[in-house]
Amino acid sequence: MERGADFAEVYVERNEFTAVTLEEDKVKSAQNGLSQGVGLRVISGAKVGYAYSDDLDEEALFRAARTAAFIAQGGGSEQSFRVTRTPLPTFYRLDAHLADVEVSLKRDLVVRANKAARAFDQRIKQVSCSWADSTKRILVANTAGRLAEDTQDLCRLSTMVVAEGKKGERRTGSYGGGGRVSFAHFDTFTPETVAREAARQAIAGLGAADAEAGQQTVVLAPGWSGILLHEAVGHGLEADFIRKGTSLFAGKLGQKVASDLVTVIDDGTMANARGSLNVDDEGNAAQFKVLIERGELKGFMYDSLNAKLMNQQTTGSGRRESFKHLPMPRMTNTYLAPGEDTPEEILKSVDKGVYCANFGGGQVDITNGNFVFEVSEAYEIKKGKLGRPLKGVTLIGVGPEALKNVSRVGNDPMPDPGMGTCGKDGQSVPVGVGLPTLRIDNMTVGGTKVGGKR
Amino acid sequence: MSATNYEALAKKIMARALKRGAKQAEVFLQVGRNADVRVRDGEIEDLTQATSKGLGLRVFVKNRLGFVWTSDFDPAGLDTLIDRAIALAEMSAPNPLNGLPDLAAFGKLPDVGALYDAEVASLPPDWKIKASIEMEKVIRAFDPRIKTIDSVGAGESVSEIYLASSSGMHGSSQGTSVYLYASPVATDGEQLQTSYWYDAKRFFEDLDTPENVAAKAAHRAVRLLGAKKVKSQKCPIVLDPTMAAGFISSIAGAANGDAVFKKSSFLAAKLGQRIAPAHVSIIDDGLRPRGLATSPFDGEGVPTRRTSIIDHGVLKAFLYDAFTARKAKTKTTGNASRGYRSLPSISAHNLLLEPGTLTPEQIIKDIPNGFYVTAMLGHGANTVTGEYSRGANGLWIENGELTRPVQEVTVAGNLNDMLLQLDAVGNDLTFHGATGAPTIRFKELTVSGE
Repeated sequence: MERGADFAEVYVERNEFTAVTLEEDKVKSAQNGLSQGVGLRVISGAKVGYAYSDDLDEEALFRAARTAAFIAQGGGSEQSFRVTRTPLPTFYRLDAHLADVEVSLKRDLVVRANKAARAFDQRIKQVSCSWADSTKRILVANTAGRLAEDTQDLCRLSTMVVAEGKKGERRTGSYGGGGRVSFAHFDTFTPETVAREAARQAIAGLGAADAEAGQQTVVLAPGWSGILLHEAVGHGLEADFIRKGTSLFAGKLGQKVASDLVTVIDDGTMANARGSLNVDDEGNAAQFKVLIERGELKGFMYDSLNAKLMNQQTTGSGRRESFKHLPMPRMTNTYLAPGEDTPEEILKSVDKGVYCANFGGGQVDITNGNFVFEVSEAYEIKKGKLGRPLKGVTLIGVGPEALKNVSRVGNDPMPDPGMGTCGKDGQSVPVGVGLPTLRIDNMTVGGTKVGGKR
Repeated sequence: MSATNYEALAKKIMARALKRGAKQAEVFLQVGRNADVRVRDGEIEDLTQATSKGLGLRVFVKNRLGFVWTSDFDPAGLDTLIDRAIALAEMSAPNPLNGLPDLAAFGKLPDVGALYDAEVASLPPDWKIKASIEMEKVIRAFDPRIKTIDSVGAGESVSEIYLASSSGMHGSSQGTSVYLYASPVATDGEQLQTSYWYDAKRFFEDLDTPENVAAKAAHRAVRLLGAKKVKSQKCPIVLDPTMAAGFISSIAGAANGDAVFKKSSFLAAKLGQRIAPAHVSIIDDGLRPRGLATSPFDGEGVPTRRTSIIDHGVLKAFLYDAFTARKAKTKTTGNASRGYRSLPSISAHNLLLEPGTLTPEQIIKDIPNGFYVTAMLGHGANTVTGEYSRGANGLWIENGELTRPVQEVTVAGNLNDMLLQLDAVGNDLTFHGATGAPTIRFKELTVSGE
């Protein structure tokens, strides 16, 4: 602050990792890792200086502070700041930190998952399973007087399988889950459940037909399909893109951007969810935020810098992958509020279309709003009933247009099992998504077969 | 800590692991520093500077693998870490194929030339700020429809690697990189479009100018304004060099020896077969002079080399690390890739598609109706099944000319079929990062739109 900066912040992190991997019927490796360091951020007007180091000695820290302060050009004076500990709610209370759970117990989960996947069907030829957990301790203190500490545990059990059918046809299946949960979570969300679901997907896809290219009515299964929402609208509502005018949602606050049936929420306070936070990485409390209400754009997601530059309040959305990164506005758990239709009614309402049961990943260009959404398990819908499995289905659209075409929303809200990781500007953070069964009309389905002949 | 100290530290930890009961041990240590600046409206938007370090210790105890990594070099912590690695090995299954590379795999390291540029290592912070401001000016002046910029910036990094392996291999390597990037946003009042361009090189004198990087980025964004869907159809598809690089990365992913061994690659059964026209040659060149991914040795100390994956249309080789090579009863190709936080895994070094003789204009000229792709969305390629489907933006081709912009469509095919359909390769080899490709054309793929 002796250079006259407006704001300075210290972020300290210590993150312990454990992983177990299994392939080809053998536990391949057990791993431990430790990452620790400090990030110093100085803000002067709209200018940000950042320095980080994994050396925690005093000399390294002062050097980092001077580097971060390079951007400030005024005269100030060295001063001390009183910080007060912020009382925090707890959205994830664990019996024990995951770093303290015996590795052998974690190993047993992947061994059980492998066994269950192989036992599911003889056509399952390859199985790989992995366990990954981390226990991250963070401390944030800033010259605005805030001091916050949090311990954030996170884990995920995953299984990936390859099934082989006739004539060497191969199908993959994958499933997994976890979150900020106690290890005992896997007593009910068992490795067998995870493995069988991965295996079921792969077997179900054997003999799948080519998807027809072009516009169709699609029905999305509940849960993990919330990734559509994450891509189609979520990113475009992050305040950095709004402030810079690079998102197609910039300047549309209060406007109609989706069908009346669409209410989108980002909620960092869901119990034990993968994207939940007691505090964000700037020390601010996570919040429940309504982003779109009955189709009307209600608000954006702010970190403290963008909030200040835009005369708004932070929404507790400032997140960073680690001390090696600057915080920026990010999603936490993003979901669509339930509607009134039963899933059966929604399916019955479609004469011809595609049912999207499971999803790979997605990506969005927040500027033109184009998003894609890879469907790993799909079926044709004929006269309100599920038909043949389809392969190679990709959905593509422009965010607001797709949301305007939402014609039915199910009464079956469902969070994903806890397997999402979101990437932005090279930073990965854990997120949750959720969706009830959803019908979208006129969605472009990518495929290899050009239809219209029948 | 100086270079000699890091080297000594790596050796010390390796030796101590052997003493504590490891049959084999290996330390991979990385040290680096980096700096990055972004500007907005002629001023610094953010400036980041950092130093980082870390080491990974791999041990084999009774054919079982244990792995630990840390960024904390405190001696007491490191000591506990060694014991942990050995304890962790107990958790994994014994596998006689486990272990460091066989002695025969090591040997004389290739002369890869200089990878370190003293000029990059000593660039003043001012350079990044000036270069970025210059890019911003060029972008603003390029076209009045460019109203904002997502980001524009520059940076450099210096990295050092030390490897100490109980097999007797010790090595170190130093390298630099320097880069410029820009992503402007254009608007016509109705639609927003963005694009990006960047250049990254090991040597400052090889780096493209800020003007060129900025102008390319601006040109690529502006020409997409007014983009619309097209009708679903089958037609010729041209990928510009940046998109072609993505395609050959997918092919190299399918040439991963581990995926091949597990029959989880569409290329698994095709070694020695013709899988593409004769003008298709894909090479992984670990020795490419000044290449961003060039290094004298791989992540387990094996000398790097040049591996021809597809030679004149024939599938010649897969990529291996030591463990996978042992499983597949073949030799490592020096493709163990890693950072200190991860175990070695197979990946290409500098990957390239050999250029052909046609200019990009000649490739487009023959097309009465087709799609020139300049941006793609999604991961898209499934290297297990060969299915390929990605979101695509670009320009429609009519009568051999680039005409109207296109968005919100997908391009789909099957990688097997796409390789066979790859009917033209351009002479405009462009390296973007460590992967290089020229313009390429597929005879016919499916476009999904209206």
